[in-house]
Amino acid sequence: MAAVETSSSDELRRVMCVEDDPDIRMILEFSLGRLAGYEVCLCASGAQALEQVPRFRPQLILLDVMMPDLSGPQTLEQLRQQRLIDGVAVVFLTAKAMTDELEDLLQHGATGIIVKPFDPVTLGQDIRIYWQHGRDRPPA
Amino acid sequence: MTTRQENPDRVEDEAPPQLCVLVADDIAGSREALAEQVLSMGHRCLLARSGAETLAQVARERPDVVLLDLLMPDMDGFEVTRRLRQQARGLWLPVIVTSALQGEEHFVHALSQGADDYLSRPVSFELLAAKLRHYRRVLALQSLGNQLAERQRAIHDHIVDAVITLDAAGQVNDANRSAEGLLGTPGQALAGQTCQDVFGLPLPELLARREIELGSGDSDARSLAVSVGNWTDQGRSFHTVALHDLSEQRRIERMKSEFLATVSHELRTPLTSILGALGLLAAGAAGALPQPAQELADVARRNGERLSRLIDDVLDLTKLEGGRMPMHLRSVALAGLLSETLAANQAYAQRSQVQLMLECRAEGARARVDGDRLMQVMANLLSNAIKHSPPKAEVRVLLYGTAQGWRIDVVDHGAGIPQAFLPLLFDKFAQADGSDRRAQGGTGLGLYISRLLVDRMGGQILAQSQPGQGSTFSLLLPPDAQAAGAWILCIDRDHQRLARTCDWLGGGRNVRGVADLAGAQQLLQQWGPPNTVVADPQAQGNADSFCKSLRALSPNGLFLLMSASVDEAFARAQQMVWIDGPDGGREKLLAALEANSPGTPGRGKD
Repeated sequence: MAAVETSSSDELRRVMCVEDDPDIRMILEFSLGRLAGYEVCLCASGAQALEQVPRFRPQLILLDVMMPDLSGPQTLEQLRQQRLIDGVAVVFLTAKAMTDELEDLLQHGATGIIVKPFDPVTLGQDIRIYWQHGRDRPPA
Repeated sequence: MTTRQENPDRVEDEAPPQLCVLVADDIAGSREALAEQVLSMGHRCLLARSGAETLAQVARERPDVVLLDLLMPDMDGFEVTRRLRQQARGLWLPVIVTSALQGEEHFVHALSQGADDYLSRPVSFELLAAKLRHYRRVLALQSLGNQLAERQRAIHDHIVDAVITLDAAGQVNDANRSAEGLLGTPGQALAGQTCQDVFGLPLPELLARREIELGSGDSDARSLAVSVGNWTDQGRSFHTVALHDLSEQRRIERMKSEFLATVSHELRTPLTSILGALGLLAAGAAGALPQPAQELADVARRNGERLSRLIDDVLDLTKLEGGRMPMHLRSVALAGLLSETLAANQAYAQRSQVQLMLECRAEGARARVDGDRLMQVMANLLSNAIKHSPPKAEVRVLLYGTAQGWRIDVVDHGAGIPQAFLPLLFDKFAQADGSDRRAQGGTGLGLYISRLLVDRMGGQILAQSQPGQGSTFSLLLPPDAQAAGAWILCIDRDHQRLARTCDWLGGGRNVRGVADLAGAQQLLQQWGPPNTVVADPQAQGNADSFCKSLRALSPNGLFLLMSASVDEAFARAQQMVWIDGPDGGREKLLAALEANSPGTPGRGKD
C-alpha cells in the first residue's frame, strides 16, 4: 500500500464505472462527471476494466454485477488476483436483490452496494461515503 | 374406491356356453354312458381310463370339471382327488366323485379329501345337468373375480407414483410396478423385504416423513414426496405409502426463481436509465428547464418511481407466495429500529406537512424478526399514515408490551377506513376507493405484503378505524424468548408485605412490585409479559376475577398465590401455586419458585 501520496489522495477524484448498458453508462457519466465533478472512466465490460485500471488508477470502482462474459464478482476476483486494486474501494451496482445475494456480494469483498434504480443526483455523495468508509477500514 | 360394478345377473351371460368335462372311469361302458350324457347337454368331453391318465389330462387339457369314479384299479378316487388338489395352483377345479357303492361314508371320505361334490351311479340325467349348470355359474364367478383382480392390478401397476404397502412390522406386503422400478433391484421382488432394506429407515420414521431423498449423492438423486394411508384388514394394520417424484416440480421452481431474477434485472435496467435521466433533467444537469418542461419531467419521474415500487412489490409478493423469501430472524431492539424507520420517512412527512412522533414505552423491547423486512412493513404503515393524513396532522408511533408480546401502533388522524372495508384491508389489491386521488402511487399490495411478512416473522398485523377520526395499524410481535428480559411481577395491596416479598425474591432476579392490576398493566407495557407472577388476592376485590385478570397478564407465565385469604383448593382451581400465607417465609417462597420454574438453574437439564 502506498503510504505517501500527494494530498489529492485524501479526496475522491478518479472513479471508474463498469457497466454493460450504454444508457446507464451515460447516466453515470452525467451523474458522476458533470454533476459531481469526478474524473470518470467508463468501461463497457470487465475485460475493458482490467485493461484500463493500470492506466486510469481509479480510487473507486463502481461495478455492475450482472454482465455478460465477466460478471461483476468475477471481474473483482481478477482485479484482485492481478493485484490491481490494492487500496481501491469497490462498490457493486445491482438490481435490487434478495438479502442473501447482497450478503454474498459483501463476502466477495465489496466496500458497498448500490441498488438500481439509483438516484443520480445523490450518487456522487453516496460513493464518497463508501470511499471514506473503505479507506478507514484497516487493511485485511 | 370406485369400481365399475359388475352386474351379477350378467354372470350367466359371460359364463362359457359349454364346459370341458373330464370323465374318469376305468370301465368303458359306464365311462361312455356318462360321456354321452355330458355331450347331450352340449358340453365338451374328455376321457380318462385311470387315475394316472386323469392327472395327465388335467395337467394337459385343463378341463373345467372332473367327474371322477371312486374305484379305479391303479389309484383310487380319494388319492386322485388329493393329488389334483396339490397339482392345481391358483385356479379351483371342481371335482365330482361318482360311485355305485351303497351308503354315504365313502362320499364323506372323498369330500374330506378335497372333492367338491358327489353323484350316485347310475347318474341321474337331471341331477348331472343341474350340477353342471351350478358349477358353470360358480366357475363364471371365479373367472370374473380373477378378471377384477387383474384389472385392479393393472390399474395399480399403471399408477405413475410408486405405491408400496407395508404391514405393521415394516415388511413390504405389496408394491406396484413403479415402486419395483424405483426402489427394487432387478430380479428381486420388494414384497417380503423390510422398510429398513428398501428405504434405509425404520417404518415409524418413514411414516413421519413428508419427503425422502433417494440415492443421495449419485447423479440421479431425487426427492420424493411421501403420503401415507393407514388401514386395517381383519385386525391387521397396513400402511400404503405413495411416493411422488418431485424432480420436475423442483426443476420448475428453479426455473421460476431464475425467471424472477431475470425479470427483476431486465425491468430495472431500463427503469434505471429512465429514472436517472429524469432525475438529472429535474436537477438541472442538462441546464435549467422551462417551467412546463419541469412539470412534465416531474410527472414522468413520479410515475417512473411508482412503476419501480410496483415491480418491487410484485417481486416481493411472488417470492412470499412461493415461499422463496428468506427470513433472517435475529434478536432486534425494536426502539432503535423504529427511530431509524421514522428518520427514513421524515422527508416524506415533511413534504406532506405531517409530524412524526415516536413514543417508546418499552425501551428494552427485543423481538426475533428480520430487521430489514420489519422496516419495510413499518415504512409501508408510515407512508400509508402520512398519505392519508391532513396537513399539520400528527402520526404517532407507539411501542409497548402486552400479554401477547410487543405491540407497535401507528396512529393517524386521517379520514379513517369504512367499516365494511376493514376486513378486506390486508387482501391483495385492496384499496378502499380506487378513485381516491391520494391513493395514487399505491399499488394495492403494500398491506397484503406487510401481512405476509409479519406472518412469516410469527407476528400479527391488525387495523382499527373510526371513520372521521383516523386509523390505527398495529403489529404484534412475539417477545424474544432468549433475550434477558425474564422478570417477576409482585402484586400486593399491603406496601410492607410487598416490599418484603420483593426483597425475598431479589438477589439476581428481576423483580418489580406494584399494588394493583392497574400498576401491573403499566409494567406490562414497559417490560412485556412477566415470566412469573407472585400475588396476594387480599383486598383486590373478588379473588376469582382478580386471578382471571392476573392470568391475562401473561398467558404462559407461572403464578404463585402467597396469601392467607385463599386456600390451596382455590389456587389449584385457578391452576396456580399456593404458598400458605405471607408469613410462610422466604424459604417456602423460593422453594416454590424453584420447584415450578422449568428454566431455573438446578432444575434445568445438565
